[in-house]
Amino acid sequence: MSSRSTRQWLALRLKDNWIAAALFAASAAALAATQAPVGFVRDESVYFVAAESYARWFQHLLRAPAQALTDNGIVRFFEINHEHPALMKMLFGLSYLVFHEWLGVLKPAAAFRIPAFVVASLIPAVTYLFGRSLFGRKAGLWAAVSFLLVPRQFFNAHLACFDVPIAAFWLLTVYAFFRAQREPLWWLWCGLAFGAALATKHNGWFLPFVLAPFAVVRGWILSRGSPEARVWFYRFVGLYAGVGALFAVLWISEGPRRFVANFTALSPASALLALTAVGTVAILRQLRWASESLFRALAPLGAMAILGPLVFYLHWPYLWHHPIDRAAWYFDFHATHVHYAWFYLGTLLRDPPFPLDYVVVKTALTVPITIFLPMAIGLGAVALRAVASVARRWRFFRPSFGEALVAANAVAPILIISHPNVPHFGGVKHWFPAMPFLALLGGSCVACAALSFVHALRRRRRALSGGPVAGLLSALLFAPALVATARNHPYGTSYYSELAGGLPGAATLGMQRQFWSNNVTGVLDWLNAHAPPNARVWLHEVTGLAFQEYQLNGMLRRDLQAAGGPWDAQIAVYQYHQEFREHEMNVWQAFGTETPAAALYLDETPQIIVYQRE
Amino acid sequence: MRILSLADFAVLTVAAVAALYFQLSLPGRLPTEGDYRGVAESLAKESKNGDVLLLYPWWAERARLYVPRSLPVVGYLGSDTNPLRDFPRIWVLAQPNLPRSDIKAFERRFIPGRTALGSPRSFGNLQLSLYRNGLYRPAVFSAAAEHPSARVYIEEPDHRQLDCPFDGKVHRCPGPEQLRVDQEWHEVLYEPRHCLWMHPPGGPRRLVAEFPSAKLGERLTLAAGIVGEYASRRQPELTVTHVVVEELTSGRRLLEIAIPPGREGMQQAETPSQLQLPSSMALKIWVQSDNPALRETCLELFSDRSATP
Repeated sequence: MSSRSTRQWLALRLKDNWIAAALFAASAAALAATQAPVGFVRDESVYFVAAESYARWFQHLLRAPAQALTDNGIVRFFEINHEHPALMKMLFGLSYLVFHEWLGVLKPAAAFRIPAFVVASLIPAVTYLFGRSLFGRKAGLWAAVSFLLVPRQFFNAHLACFDVPIAAFWLLTVYAFFRAQREPLWWLWCGLAFGAALATKHNGWFLPFVLAPFAVVRGWILSRGSPEARVWFYRFVGLYAGVGALFAVLWISEGPRRFVANFTALSPASALLALTAVGTVAILRQLRWASESLFRALAPLGAMAILGPLVFYLHWPYLWHHPIDRAAWYFDFHATHVHYAWFYLGTLLRDPPFPLDYVVVKTALTVPITIFLPMAIGLGAVALRAVASVARRWRFFRPSFGEALVAANAVAPILIISHPNVPHFGGVKHWFPAMPFLALLGGSCVACAALSFVHALRRRRRALSGGPVAGLLSALLFAPALVATARNHPYGTSYYSELAGGLPGAATLGMQRQFWSNNVTGVLDWLNAHAPPNARVWLHEVTGLAFQEYQLNGMLRRDLQAAGGPWDAQIAVYQYHQEFREHEMNVWQAFGTETPAAALYLDETPQIIVYQRE
Repeated sequence: MRILSLADFAVLTVAAVAALYFQLSLPGRLPTEGDYRGVAESLAKESKNGDVLLLYPWWAERARLYVPRSLPVVGYLGSDTNPLRDFPRIWVLAQPNLPRSDIKAFERRFIPGRTALGSPRSFGNLQLSLYRNGLYRPAVFSAAAEHPSARVYIEEPDHRQLDCPFDGKVHRCPGPEQLRVDQEWHEVLYEPRHCLWMHPPGGPRRLVAEFPSAKLGERLTLAAGIVGEYASRRQPELTVTHVVVEELTSGRRLLEIAIPPGREGMQQAETPSQLQLPSSMALKIWVQSDNPALRETCLELFSDRSATP
């Protein structure tokens, strides 16, 4: 590369970095500016308490480090919500200490949520950079902007929860994996990003299964011309296949309980782990000598294998003294998670097997059609090209490594949740990791469509350039999503797309209208204005912790008392769910009336219904 | 490829325009508070005792905030096909302009057996219509409504009776709080039912309600179901719930329903049409389930007759 072209390349890269930074800042600002009315979802109210507890441990660590590092000292603070790793909760808690307790500049909820905004804002920034390098600037920009214009994603990005952060770290891991193929040191970032994903939510453990085939196939192709490199490639793959097989033998022969019980510092399983770590480092060192490109293909995988579990262990003090027992409990908790009732196309889904089409249909009905359509076309185009390229004369259609990587990551999280035995509650949040990748494919579709239009018109209008056409098309595509997001906020779990017929259409289709209890904010003003002093109020589905948070954050009068049910309440606030109809009947029975005193209706659909005792 | 991309461009542009139209026009398809107040005023003036208001779509129940309290409002998943036998006249409040609203399909389900009384009236996006209900069958006896006059007790296997005294509202039995008999609101497969709560006491014991002189019309109907989400449970330890109606004096079984675990909705049994019922009869209704867990039973026992024109 000449010095001039190098300078140009650096200038372009700098420009892209500035655009990414601007996207990050704009996203964080948009989330911070719109967070106040967002209700506290059931899980978040628990995470607030857990986050504060974890942050107190850091204070305790500074005051009495020896005591804080004992198992008792750790468990005292980390026992709460050990169903999930600690990374995001630690960040939420430290943010709370800094912005609420020390500086006093934010209300508690806003202070807890700041790290959520920051991590969520990585998605538009990284999506842009990824899209820019794969499909060009227009596609990258479209993909980046589209993420927060999906109302359910915009809503979830506000929450001190893990669904958007895991999407961010999944994306970051794949992006680092992609760049590691060409650039030095990115294999290290890939390992660390994977560690952050594992430290955020259990979805992260699926990442190696998505990325490993790409590393292995690429390694196979790159080592084709070099016998020495091929040998080291075989050794690398053989190490993991062998260790995997031996772990499987141990697991099957001992059974899950004995496997966990026998997994001590001096045990075959520990020896296998040590062998994996040492073997990975040794093989990768040799590989680097044999072939730098092969090293780059396989090193991200090695980094993920070593750094991922290491970060997972080190970041979570709860594991420090009993890593195997407690990690085993954690995996078992998620492998045997309960199923909550979920209304889908007029049927209450209670137990598996769940419909295979659920995830695809739910995505189609909850992503604005103008964003969903480019995603579907983009994914379909990659799939069609992959199929066509099987024929020799259409080999040039074969998707690039990057395209295939994006398509695989767009599909994998959806396939995982589509399994009929996987819990299906929670709207769309459980497959958020797929969404940035679908957005990238959507961006490529929009950019291609705009370019084709420009080419078609260029004979007549020579001055026409791609930028304004892509911009106009994007604006047209984003406009309905923007209107919907603005109208829907802050009731994100209730959004349905144009394809569903909006929320009224979805209600007629028999879809779940809301979940997680946050829509209660729609009637808090009424309660503050109309509840008698010291009234006992039953907020159906709202946790006791969330009730307190509404009071602490000035959203609910402090004199109001939480009632345990309609029988001891003066006011009952019912959340309309199809599976909870009996709860409303209980209110009718207890209060002696079937007539609501107030309610929240979104586009006519009943969401929150308030009853006052006669 | 370029042609395909051009087609994409066209598809995306059309979709964007259509979606924007949908989003911008949606607020105009919704009723305003003024529309509801207009409907409420009309209903306050024109509705009679015994009328009912049926909602279409079934879920669009914001009207409950506005309509006169004396007018029952019916709207639940499946309410389009409810015969509404207790009501001679039905007001239908429809929202035909909502997305996915299909008023013709609703009418195909609703109209058979009904006669329109006048033309529909519009209040903005609300449409109010009145129908004569040809499926109306006035009840001459309702166990739920007449439960205060019943004698309630728990019957032991040896026929000993543990009395459940009436406290002016509820018959309360010795033992857990759920052992009571009362007319209560409960949900049975999404439908609000103002039914007779009779929870089985467990084992071979029966919860019994005796009606010494139940008036009878042309038929006697028993409906019973398990409440709310409990109905869907199928754990192996759960047992069948038996609901039986007997003639008090002879002990002859008139009606019987068995509700196995997992059976949702109201189960129904009625006397054969050829059976001539006397004008009144002493009846006994009992509920039994070996394992009472999650067998929250709600039932209706009623007798009705054809409506005289």
